[in-house]
Parts: sequence; C-alpha cells; structure tokens
Amino acid sequence: MKKKSSIFASQKVIVLLVVIALFAFFSIVSPNFRQYSTVMSILDYSYYIVLMAIGVTFPLITGGVDLSIGTGLICYSLAGGYLITQKGWPVAAGLIVTLLLGIIIGTVNGVLVSIMELPPFLTTLCTCMITRGLGSIFSKGFGISWPAAGSEGGWFRNIFKITTASGTKIPIGFLWMILIVIVMAFVLNHTKLGRYTIAIGSNKEATRLSGVNVKFYHVMAYVISGFFAALAAVAYSAVFATVQPGTGAGFELEAIGGAIIGGVSASGGVGSVEGSLIGVFVICLLKTGLPYIGLQANWQQIITGLVLIGAVMVDIIKKKKAEVH
Amino acid sequence: MEKIKQNPIVKKIGFNRIVLCGVLILMYILFSVTSKGFAGLPRILSALNYAYFLGFLSLGVTFVIATGGIDFSIGPVMFCAALISGYCLTSYGLPTALCLVISILVGFLFGCFNGYLVAYWTVPPFIVSMASMNIAKGLASVFTKTQSVSWPQAAEAAGWFRKLVKVGSFPVGLVIFLAAAVICSLLLNNTKAGRYILSLGSNKEAVRLSGVNVKKWEMLAYVICGTLVGIAAIFFVGAYTTVQPGYGDQYNNEAIAGCVMGGTSMAGGLASIGGTVIGVFIISLLQEGILALGINKNYQLIITGLIVIVAVYADVVARRRKN
Amino acid sequence: MGEVILTMKDIDKSFPGVHALDHVNFEVRRGEVHALMGENGAGKSTLMKVLTGIYTKDSGTITYEGKDIEFHNTREAQDAGIVIVHQELNMLGHLTVAQNIFIGREFKKGIKIDDKKMNEEAKKLFDRLHIDIDPTETMANLTVGKQQMCEIAKAISHEAKVIIFDEPSAALTEAEIEELFKIIRDLREQNLGIVYISHRMDEIKVITDRVTVMRDGTYVGTLITNECTKDDIINMMVGRVIYEDPKTASTVPADAPVVLKVEHLNAGRMVQDVSFELRKGEILGFSGLMGAGRTETARAIFGADPKESGDIYINGEKVTINNPQDAVKCGIGYLSEDRKRYGIVVQKTVAENSTMACLQNYMSGIFINKKAEKKVAQEYVDSLATKTPSVDQLVVNLSGGNQQKVVIAKWLINDCDILIFDEPTRGIDVGAKNEIYKLMNKLASEGKSIIMISSEMTEILRMSDRIVVMCEGRKTGEVKIEEATQEVIMNMATREIS
Repeated sequence: MKKKSSIFASQKVIVLLVVIALFAFFSIVSPNFRQYSTVMSILDYSYYIVLMAIGVTFPLITGGVDLSIGTGLICYSLAGGYLITQKGWPVAAGLIVTLLLGIIIGTVNGVLVSIMELPPFLTTLCTCMITRGLGSIFSKGFGISWPAAGSEGGWFRNIFKITTASGTKIPIGFLWMILIVIVMAFVLNHTKLGRYTIAIGSNKEATRLSGVNVKFYHVMAYVISGFFAALAAVAYSAVFATVQPGTGAGFELEAIGGAIIGGVSASGGVGSVEGSLIGVFVICLLKTGLPYIGLQANWQQIITGLVLIGAVMVDIIKKKKAEVH
Repeated sequence: MEKIKQNPIVKKIGFNRIVLCGVLILMYILFSVTSKGFAGLPRILSALNYAYFLGFLSLGVTFVIATGGIDFSIGPVMFCAALISGYCLTSYGLPTALCLVISILVGFLFGCFNGYLVAYWTVPPFIVSMASMNIAKGLASVFTKTQSVSWPQAAEAAGWFRKLVKVGSFPVGLVIFLAAAVICSLLLNNTKAGRYILSLGSNKEAVRLSGVNVKKWEMLAYVICGTLVGIAAIFFVGAYTTVQPGYGDQYNNEAIAGCVMGGTSMAGGLASIGGTVIGVFIISLLQEGILALGINKNYQLIITGLIVIVAVYADVVARRRKN
Repeated sequence: MGEVILTMKDIDKSFPGVHALDHVNFEVRRGEVHALMGENGAGKSTLMKVLTGIYTKDSGTITYEGKDIEFHNTREAQDAGIVIVHQELNMLGHLTVAQNIFIGREFKKGIKIDDKKMNEEAKKLFDRLHIDIDPTETMANLTVGKQQMCEIAKAISHEAKVIIFDEPSAALTEAEIEELFKIIRDLREQNLGIVYISHRMDEIKVITDRVTVMRDGTYVGTLITNECTKDDIINMMVGRVIYEDPKTASTVPADAPVVLKVEHLNAGRMVQDVSFELRKGEILGFSGLMGAGRTETARAIFGADPKESGDIYINGEKVTINNPQDAVKCGIGYLSEDRKRYGIVVQKTVAENSTMACLQNYMSGIFINKKAEKKVAQEYVDSLATKTPSVDQLVVNLSGGNQQKVVIAKWLINDCDILIFDEPTRGIDVGAKNEIYKLMNKLASEGKSIIMISSEMTEILRMSDRIVVMCEGRKTGEVKIEEATQEVIMNMATREIS
C-alpha cells in the first residue's frame, strides 16, 4: 500500500513548476517583463484574485460554487467607498461596512443553498446579478475613488504597498497573502470548520448521520467565501484608483479557475488553500505576461477558459484511472 | 381551487401557464395605470424587441435545463456571434446573408464545444459555462480588436435583415419567434431528440440501459441551444444595432428566469416551451415597465435574480412534496 | 453467555400495503453472537431499523439494560450504546481513517483539532481489535474489508454494548472474513452483545451462539446453534413455501438451439472467467448469495459496464457488445433489480416508457407517431395485464409489479429474444409475483430465452430449466432442474467459503 502520493505527483508541485516556467518564459522572451515594476504590478493585480480564490475554495470543496464573488467585490467596494467619499464616513467605518456586506451576502448564499436546498451555481448566479445591481444603485452609477495614497484617509492603501522615502515600493501585501494562506490552511486542515467542509463535500449524508450540524457548516463555507470577497474588495480599492459599477463579472472565473488549477476538485471533497494560491498565479502571470509577448490582453480570457477546462479534464482522467484500479 | 385544477380545459393548457398569463396581464394593467402613455402600441413593440432575442436565448437554454444541465454562457456567446458576424459585415464587407449564417454558425460551434465537454467528458456544466463565457468574450474582443460593432440601419441596402424584426410597425419578429417556439415545442414533445432529452434529464441511466446513445442526445441539447443563441444574436442587432465586446452576461439570468418561471425544472426532465414563451414576455414587459417608470434599470437585475430564486425554490418544494 | 441486555417484545410495524413486522420477539444477551436469519424480505432489516430509531414501531416494547426505551434517531441509539455496522459503508473517502472514526466528536486542543490524539486513540482501538490499519491513511485507499474494520472500530469507539452487523461479509474476501470473525470473537470475550445478520449458512454455524429465524415478517423461533443442524435452520427459514409448485422437469427439448453463448467473460473482481450457454425457450436460473457477481455478469454481457475479456456468441455468431446500444441491437433486454434507478423513467408515461428502446419504429417522418405508440403500449398493457388507468399515466404512480411489467413491455415491444431478468420479483407482493412467473413461463413457451437472476431459492427452483450457480465472481456449478435441490445449490453457492 502506498502511504502518501509521491511529492512529484502532487498537483500543487506541478502547478508551482508551471508558475516558475511561465515566469522564466516571459522573462526570457521579453526584457521589459523582467523588471521590478512588472513584478510589482503582477502582485498588485494578484491580491484581490488570491483573496477571492482562498474564499471560494471553501464552497468548491463542499461541492458547490460561488459565482457572486466577482460582482460582489465591486458592490462591497462601491458601498464602502460611497460612504467614505460622499457621506464623509471615516475610512475605518467604510471598511467595516464593506466587510459586513460581504458577510451578509455570503450568509444569504449559504442559507439559500444549504437550508433551502437550491442549486449553488444558479443561486450564486442570481446573487451575482443582484450584487451587480446593488453596486450600481449604491454608487448611483458613478465610479468611486477611495482616498488616494498619501491623502487623508489613504492609510489603508499602505496595507498592501509601502513607498519608502527613496521611492522604492515594497509589496507588503504579498506578506499578508502568505500569512492569510497560512491561517486559512490551518482553518481548513485543523479546525472543525475545515474538517466538516471537506466532510460535506465528501459525503454530506454520512456526515449528517455522524451527528454533525451540516447545515450550519455548509452555510459557513459561503460566509467565508463572502467575507473573503469583501477582503478582496478592500485589496481592490487599495490597489486601483477607481472602482467602476457594472464591472466585476469575470473576476470569479479567475479565482475559481485558479482554485481548480491549484487542485480543488470540481466535484468537491478535495482542495487546499495553498494550492489555490499557486493556481491563481498561473492566471495572473498569463494575464500580465501575454501583452509582453505581443498578444492582446483578451487572449488571456480565452486561455484561462481553456486552462480551466484542461485542469478539470485532468481531474476527470485521474478519477477514471483510480476507478479502474 | 382543486376543482379549477381538475377542469379539463385548465388541465389541457396547464394551471401554471394560466396563472402566468394572468400575471402578464396584471403587470400590463399595472404599468399602464402607473405610467402615463404606457398603454399603446409603441411600448408593446419596444417590449417585443426585447422579447425576441431573449426568447431565442430562453428557448435554447430550455433544452439544456431539460437535460438537468445549465448553460450560462448564452449571453456572452450571443454577443460573440453578433460581434464576429458584424465585424465580417462592416470590416470585411461580406454579404449580409452570409454574416447571418456566420452568426448562427458561431452559436452552433459553441454549442458543440459545450455539449461535447459535458456529454462526452462529464465536465460539470457550470465549469463549461464559465469557461466558454470567457472564451466567448475573449474571442469577440480579439476578433474585433476590442471595438464595438454597429450593424447597418434599415435604410441601407445591407440593412435588409431588420425586416426580420419589424416591417413598418408590423412585428415580423413576433411571428418568427412564435413560429420558432412552435417548432421547438414540436421538437421537444414530438421527436426522438426531444423525447430522449427529457427522458435522460429525468433518469439518464435508465435511458442508457434502454440502448439509447445518451451522450449523443445530451450533446444535441447543447447544440440546439447554441444554434438558437446564434439566431438570438441576429434579433439582438436587428433591434439594438450596436454590440460591445466584453458584455452579455446580464442576459443569462433573464433567459434562465424566463425558462424556470415557465415551469421548466432545474432538476431536469420537465420542460415547457409554452411556459418559457410566457416567462419571456413577463421579463420583457418588466424591463419595459421599469424603463417607463424611470426606475433605475439596475433594479431589474435584482428583481430578475429574485424571480429566479423564488421560481427555483417553488420547484424544489414541489419536488420535495412529491417524494 | 451473560444476562439479557436487550429484549424486543411483540414488535409490530406496518407500511401502506405491507405488514412488515407481525408481533416479533427478539433478545440479545451479553457475550453472545446472535444470528438473525431469514430470506430477503423476511423483516430482519426492518426490525433492526425499529431498534435503532430509523423507524417508529406501531406497538410492542423494547427493554434495554432493564429499562423500556424508544430511540428517535440513530444518534440516540448510538449514545445509549447500540450501533449498526452497515452493509453499505458510510465513509468519507477524502478523510483519513482516524478522522472518519471520530467525525462529529473530534478531540480538540483549543480551536485546533487534535489529530495526533485522534490517531493515537484510533490506534488503541485497532490494537484492541488486533488489526493493523494506519490511522493516517486516506479512507478511499483502503480495501472494502479494511473499511469495514474501520466501521467496526468506529462502532466500538461509541462504547457500544450491542453491535449489529448487517451482512458484514457480503463484500469481503475469505481472508477478510477470517479476520472479521476473529474480531467478533474478541468482542464476545469483552462481553458485548452481537447481532449478526447473514444469509450464509456456514458462517452462522461457525460464529454464532444462537439463531433467531424470521419469515414474512413473523418470528419463527430461536435455536441454540450448537444443538441444531443446517437443515433445521433452512426448514425454519423457508417453511413449506419452498416446496410449493417446483418445476420437476425441463420443458426445453434437448436439441433446442443455443441462442446465447458466453465464453471466459472477465469484468473486474466480481466476474471472473464466466462461461455458459442459453438455449431457445429456456429459463436459465442464476443462483448464488448476495455479492456473488451475478448482476455484474449480467451487466457485463449487456454492455452496461466495461468488460476486460471474453466472447459472446448469439445464434452461433460472435458479436461485439461494448455498450447497451449494441446489446439492444443484438436483441438482448435487461430488467434491472433496481427498477427506479435503472428501469423506468418515472416522470414519463407508460406509453413513453414502453417505446423507449425502439422509438425509431414509432416515427412518421421526424415526428413520433403518438397514436401508434399508444396503441402498441395499450396492446402490451392488455396482454401483460398491467394495472394502469391509461397509457398516459406516469409510471411513478404505478405499483412495483406494474412498473416491472412496463419494463418487460419495453423489451417485448423491441422484440428482444434474450431477456435478462435480474431479481424480477424483488419488492413485489405475492399476487403480482405469481403473475410475473406466469408471464415468464408464457414468454419461454413462445420461444424467448430468459436468464433469471434470483436470490430466492423458491423462485429458482420453481422457474428454472437449468441453474447456474455463482460464488465470489466465479461460476461454481451448473445443474439441471431434475437434479437440483436446495442442498445441491447451497453447496455450490458456498463452495469457496467452506
């Protein structure tokens, strides 16, 4: 009996190698790519996707999905930003509202899916549209700019990036990402919340019969997803100058695609937070790198779609092989 | 109540559909009372413009949902079809008729792609939808170099296709749409394809063990959907002229809403084309009404979302009661 | 044997149309293994479900450790110390062994789950059972046998006083069964009360102290295992029913042509090197215990599951069957044991189900000729005496026996010459059973050839012209009806175990 799958067969490791290979490829082909500023912009672009991917890993592991995270992100950011810029709320209060909204929408998704037993993809497709509408209504259809770095109230932007006196930019956001991944990996692997999330994705009925309050933990998976979409909203507001209503559709694909490339099974039960992190970087590298080799940025959308299908196909082939043996 | 349901005429038409018709009429009256000048032909024609393309999307997705699957790439694929064929028309100067064929072909190919992955590779439909949604958006942007495309006006020679939508104020589109609905209904209820699509949505394994090639028929449902989405694109540009790359997903929900409101079950196996048609009219009227009342159009997104949730929940409850 | 720990007295339970338990008595003592026996549908599982709170009893009393009790769910029963080790395993394949055993009641250190302690505790449990399983192994990587051991460990970890084994050996290999018995003996030493449900006569003799026999929902009697013979138990199980109307001689002429010949069929663990012939007009019984590989053989022949090797000849001609479509083209029809999942499409009407396999014959142009479809469906409703208000009725509204007739009609309309009936009368009441039997005899006399898989000895002896017996995926014998007796078949069916 083989004890644990060999380290090289692990999807995480393979994907990590792909990330390195992609980075090396773009660096060799394009001199402009291998610059500090490019790395900075890759990281800037990655934060909100990484955060969404960490969150959506939980509903994916339960065998569901959360499609509302992309438009949700924009909606939460618009709501918080509106209160700060138009109503003169302190930035901290705006941030709290942003996070609270994420938790509320996450709870709504969770209740609809877990307690009312609606199909997850359709339910979250609806909340995706609803949050899109809400976002535009909050902002009255106008783009909103959170306070700029350096200005009063712009302190929150320093959470993700510090500019030293000499003008060098330090991406401390990346350290936060690592820290959050460690915390959430702990939650997934070493707490009841994580354990039951995996158990629900593995066999919901058997978990229920073991006396676990599956409804509560199932809801929690979506609450986590909503909360992280809100964290992503904070990161997005901090990195980008303006938040436009009506955008955000498509962000969820990058996050869900990243998670699945990183080893989350589309049929539930399997997944890791660190895998999702690595998977997201495949997508971020493609997104940033393709224009440097002369392809339009839109190719990234096509390639992301194909990579996602490819990742799921690999998963299906693996499962078929396991069934034969 | 039970008595009314048992009435043979009511039974024949379907109780739910009668209720939906009632809702449609009530909505019309409500909008006419609350909004000045709503009553009358112009508003109806405007609502119908919306109903055509949405109707074709909804008819298409009905087949997919009947198999127990889902396709929410339909909106972006419709835009992709309209953009690619429109670009061929405006930038390459291909004849209009050929461009209409190209539009249908694009939809058809996406249908094949989705159906093949779902039926033969057992990739979960939501993953396939997500992927092809982005492929469609990306492809359209790459093809048109991220430019919007405006189809020719009715007065121009190449604009003859608009006669498919409207001649003077006669709604030709309505005739075509209803004819398409009748064909879809025949297809779903009176042909082998429809029989197998509905049956496999209800119990795929039993149908397979009856010696039916279930993969082929399941794929066909997506192909039918894709083709109808290609046709929807023609009616979209016929009514609204300009298409922009990167959009289209707002129509997914409305199309699915029309479908599930009409009594098609998300669990598969149960579908009603008649219901879908009425559902589409309700959504279109709602859109027009919100426009007329001057309400922020974003409320429509929210209302449609809520409608889908309520309709699906009703279906879940109905199924639970049956078991 | 110690004092009585559990007594069930006068337990009565009815479902709509079925009197499932008719004043049944049952008791378990500490330190005994008590077999609960009976044919399929005798009421064993229902009785255990009443005990563990899955069903509520209509009347009767349950006394446990001197107190009258009634559980409302399995959790309550578990907490009181009564646990079931199920036949189909309730496991979470993605979690480790220890995580499975302690799911829902994890050890914690602050907010962190203490996996280390869980692994240690699991190890202790395994040591107590003298089995060697690594608690950190992922559940899905274990064999079925090992998974079952984990279920037992989980049961014991609840501080069980009574453990119910529901057909524990069905999916196990010989070596695994040995190991299981060792564990059961250990548990008996530890003064637990053990209920052992099984069909396998040899096991009963080896492992149990007492045997309680049930038949048709009634209590027949309790025997001390050592003081009775196999025949005593069999007699109690079957009563006189078995001798009712058995076929005494085959009606198939010796020179009837072979319509189906299967040679060296292999398909996974459950189908190993199976060969047999089926003659025209013959009913070929497939007998064997649960999990003998009969259904798997049928599915492999029909193309429902992939096969590894083997040849199939129809009317002397070699055919390739890779999927059910091929099989249907060859004129084979398959009635599954699980109608709801594999036989009927419940949301469709009788007529629509009837033509499912040969819709192409009821088309005019591209449209389905619904008139012709209804006409042929009506014909078969009449000739099979299917009870349905009309052919437009949804099959979900029909009774089990009538649903079965709809499936039969589906294959007859397709003009199949070879029919595989897999447990054709499972879950069907007695009257409807007789009708199905009559129908099968009629079909055979009309020249159809039938393979009948059945776990009921009565049925096998009553219907078959010839009987093939399987055990653990292999064909272990073949016998003509003239020479067939229950003992002969039972011997073949248990050949590799005893």
